Amino acid sequence: METSQGITLAALAIHFLVGLSRAMILFIVCSGLSFVLGVLRVPNVAHGSLYMIGAFSAFSIFTLLGGGAVAFWAALILAPFVVAIVSLIAERSLFKHLYQREHLMLLLFTFALMLILGDLVKIIWGAQYRSIMAPEFLRGSFPLFGASLPRYNVFLLIVGPLVAIGLWLFTNKTKIGKIARAAAVDMEMVGALGINVSWVFAFAFVLGCFLAGMGGALVAPTISITIGMDHDLIIEAFLIVVIGGLGNMWGAMVGSLIFGLTQSFGVLFLPQFAIVFPYTAVVIVLLIRPKGLLKSVW
Amino acid sequence: MSKGGINLKTFWPAIAIAVILFFLPPIIPRFYTYILAVIFVTSLLAMSLNLCVGHGGIFQFHHAVFYGVGAYTVALFLTKTSLPRGVGFIAGPIIAAIFGLLIGWFCIRLTKLYFGMLQISLGSLVWAIVFRWYGFTGGDDGIHGIPIPEFIDSTNSRYYFILIFFIISLFVLYLIFKSPFGTTLQAIRDNPERCEAIGINVKRHQLVAIVIATFFAGVAGVLFVVLEGSVFPDLLFWVLSLEVFIMCLLGGWFTFAGPVLGAAITVSLRTFVGVYTEYWTLILGVILILLIFFLPEGVMGFILDKINPEKKEIIEKDDE
Amino acid sequence: MLQVQDIHKTFGDFKAVNGANLSVGEGELVAVIGPNGAGKTTLFNLITGQLKPDQGKITFMNEDISQLPTHKICLKGLARSFQIANIFHRLSVFRNVQVSVLSQKGLSGKLFRPVQKVAVTETNNILESVGLIEKAQYIAGSLSHGDQRMLEIAIALGNEPKMLILDEPTAGMSPEETAATMALIQQLAETRGLTILFCEHDMDVVFNVSQSIMVMHHGSTIIQGKPEAVRVDSDVQEAYLGDDYA
Repeated sequence: METSQGITLAALAIHFLVGLSRAMILFIVCSGLSFVLGVLRVPNVAHGSLYMIGAFSAFSIFTLLGGGAVAFWAALILAPFVVAIVSLIAERSLFKHLYQREHLMLLLFTFALMLILGDLVKIIWGAQYRSIMAPEFLRGSFPLFGASLPRYNVFLLIVGPLVAIGLWLFTNKTKIGKIARAAAVDMEMVGALGINVSWVFAFAFVLGCFLAGMGGALVAPTISITIGMDHDLIIEAFLIVVIGGLGNMWGAMVGSLIFGLTQSFGVLFLPQFAIVFPYTAVVIVLLIRPKGLLKSVW
Repeated sequence: MSKGGINLKTFWPAIAIAVILFFLPPIIPRFYTYILAVIFVTSLLAMSLNLCVGHGGIFQFHHAVFYGVGAYTVALFLTKTSLPRGVGFIAGPIIAAIFGLLIGWFCIRLTKLYFGMLQISLGSLVWAIVFRWYGFTGGDDGIHGIPIPEFIDSTNSRYYFILIFFIISLFVLYLIFKSPFGTTLQAIRDNPERCEAIGINVKRHQLVAIVIATFFAGVAGVLFVVLEGSVFPDLLFWVLSLEVFIMCLLGGWFTFAGPVLGAAITVSLRTFVGVYTEYWTLILGVILILLIFFLPEGVMGFILDKINPEKKEIIEKDDE
Repeated sequence: MLQVQDIHKTFGDFKAVNGANLSVGEGELVAVIGPNGAGKTTLFNLITGQLKPDQGKITFMNEDISQLPTHKICLKGLARSFQIANIFHRLSVFRNVQVSVLSQKGLSGKLFRPVQKVAVTETNNILESVGLIEKAQYIAGSLSHGDQRMLEIAIALGNEPKMLILDEPTAGMSPEETAATMALIQQLAETRGLTILFCEHDMDVVFNVSQSIMVMHHGSTIIQGKPEAVRVDSDVQEAYLGDDYA
């Protein structure tokens, strides 16, 4: 299929779709990161760790419930809530005391959180590789142009847009979502309206982390769950948010697509340097539009 | 009592420490000599970063890249070419500074967080290439068994080599810190808009600071190769960048010698706590949180504050 | 010395400056007055290059400066102070002023000269003239509000300006402090041969010290003239009464 003479149309199509489904996971994680950035103005370095906790929690719930289809769905739904609770505890006990401080301190706090969560995961789940299995009907693959596309990727292609729509409805149609969005644009205004700013921050932070956990749970069946998956993800997530435009949800979508697709085609064309393609794409975007493709909320 | 523009009084403690460091290797175990050398290398890296972060207010988020570039440059020169070895040693810092100039030139158009983000992406690109290019950089294996010149092939001789270059670098950094350039840089940190308004080309000034800082990061990288005889991609990984960032904070951003203290504390903790537990990063994280809440100016900043509560700066009134 | 001709600046839909004119002669002490939001600070920002005008022309000493960057305008001899104390908080008072003197002398980039040997006399002279010499060693952030305002002016003097623009130099000061500050500014203007453009809320101060007054309203110039002429102008009265009492 991937010969030196030429790349078949089927391979192109498959890599396109696989890249697209990978972009969906990136989008779910990055929209959370972007949301926190928009409201709190802090790049949450611990976001990758929460994504990792999402994956590990999914594994634990999955095994605890016997590993069937029910266990899978329960893991997918409950794992993000585990992450949300972890983040709520961190936010209410420590993070909220820093909102009045210099910005760099918030950034460093999230870094400290990353260091701590990373080791806690090691303590709780150990350093082995873990995996969970999707239910029967999501296993195997569909035939496509004579090649095959894994069913789980199709599932991701459906879930991604659903989450995007849900998030859009939530931030545009519900009261608390609107408040959070307004806070991203003008914090003082929200404070002046008599809304408790500290709780708006808490809410935004927890929602962002919830999305990180959801991304972790969704990615779990496709990879080996292991410590270190946080490091791989977080820089990618940062870059996606930056090229998309800080705090812009659709920007996170555009950035994820760029990242996911360049990576996927990179694997096709130059496997050894596949990792270089998305970074190069990011550099090119930033050279042309230093503040990201879509309008930043800042 | 100043001569040649340098006030000797402020140097006595530093000279005393340097003299003690010179006499240590014969009397302490070899392992401690090695750890001290690690501290020197790490301190120099932290000091160079602090020129940007603590004194220049530049969000230099990915400083480790330049450290790694310096280390890889000398490693590649020593393993892949037959040029005199001195060439590699000189090329390390220079190539690092060229990388600093290029990456800095792109980033300097942006400010604060955007600057930091763009630097992380450009730096990660360099990391990704090093990580993958097996034919040239050895990929994720790195390069091992780098032929170090014979005169520095024992623990003690390496120690002295590193110590000497560490002291020279610190002295040069101190001169820069106390120069008109350094003073202006600190003014830019405090208030860049005002600096523009009094006729300072802020961006150019910051770019020069980045080039100087990356040069010394390159020196630290070369010294790392002298010490370890190997290089690997983790030297350019962003986690190291943030760790060095913490060292600056821990020691005290706004003081000159703070980062040395921060690096010394971090390296010793890692070495000696690491013996008892594998959860070293957990402890680092807790220390960082304690710092953020209780010592935002760092250990050195805290000490200086206690010594000098009136917040006066010593200024010689020299009639020259 | 400074000519501003019909400049405009719009932020979105808001016309912050909408046809402002100003003329400042050499050695004059000129005030800009107007109700809050009349566009005074924006006008100053346009003159000193923090903002670029949408249209119009600004000439300083017969040279068009309307498109120059801030630091170049400054080196031409046009310095300013800011409405809020805009100083270097972590540096000592002495260094605050020295940074500015160094910049003026083109010495900011010197890497290997001890800073305590450079531009010391000039810096001390300036500190003496604004009465801060006793506090030279203190960290600027620890000064009182009034002292910080004086330091602010001292930093501007470090550029050896021919002309100084002061944005509400006495904001937040008591009446006594205000009087002392204005006396000092007048004295600086005389001894250093400075041209001064300032804006100010206290009308007594304005009519006492200035040789010429420009009145702004809704971003436009209503009138510029001698204090006596401005005092009796009907448009001016309307602008003030209209805004403050309507």
